[in-house]
Amino acid sequence: MVAAWRAAGLTYNKYLSIAARVVRRSLKEQPRLAAERRGEMQLKFAKWEGGKQGDVKSLAKESAE
Amino acid sequence: MNSFRAVSRIALRVKPTRALLAPRRNYAEAAGPADKIRLSLALPHQTIYKASDVIQVNIPAESGDMGILANHVPSIEQLRPGVIDIIEEGAGSKQFFLSGGFAVVQPDSQLSINAVEAFPLEDFSPEAVRAQIAEAQRIANGSGTEQDIVEAKVELEVLETLQAALK
Repeated sequence: MVAAWRAAGLTYNKYLSIAARVVRRSLKEQPRLAAERRGEMQLKFAKWEGGKQGDVKSLAKESAE
Repeated sequence: MNSFRAVSRIALRVKPTRALLAPRRNYAEAAGPADKIRLSLALPHQTIYKASDVIQVNIPAESGDMGILANHVPSIEQLRPGVIDIIEEGAGSKQFFLSGGFAVVQPDSQLSINAVEAFPLEDFSPEAVRAQIAEAQRIANGSGTEQDIVEAKVELEVLETLQAALK
């Protein structure tokens, strides 16, 4: 049996991060502020072609599309 | 005739003592107390249990809810987002909500659970859960991108489990 999230094209990693994010957001104020920082991820990448750097893109934005 | 009887009587006497002396080994004796399971519950940023001997752990596996005792058959289970019960000797039972992960039962009565997030139930705010359910339902039934709708459906499933657990 294929899980619904899998059939919709999500990877397991993505599914886990969505589930973890929603769990963090459901916390009371105090533990939530400490936990939400863990969900932040910033990673930029650029493709190099012919010795030239391409556009710098955010990994989070690209993988959401 | 007499001597034959004597021999057979000795043989009868010897047999049960030999059976008692034969060493019996099993996996659990090497790991810890025979009636306990050694639990490790680890998150990427925190270790909640580190090889603690507990009586029973109830986990929400993808293949169904299951209770794990000592000498459980080795297995690997994917966990649904849900509540795990940890029953400790004397301390009663502790409950955590896990956001999903894996449980590995090793042959020597060891249980390793890995999850991304785990919190005791009292850390959750029922109001925050209710507000998020309303928001996720709006997105799931809305006309957003396919990605948003799929994410909202995953969130809804987690939130509904969480809301049921908090009651």
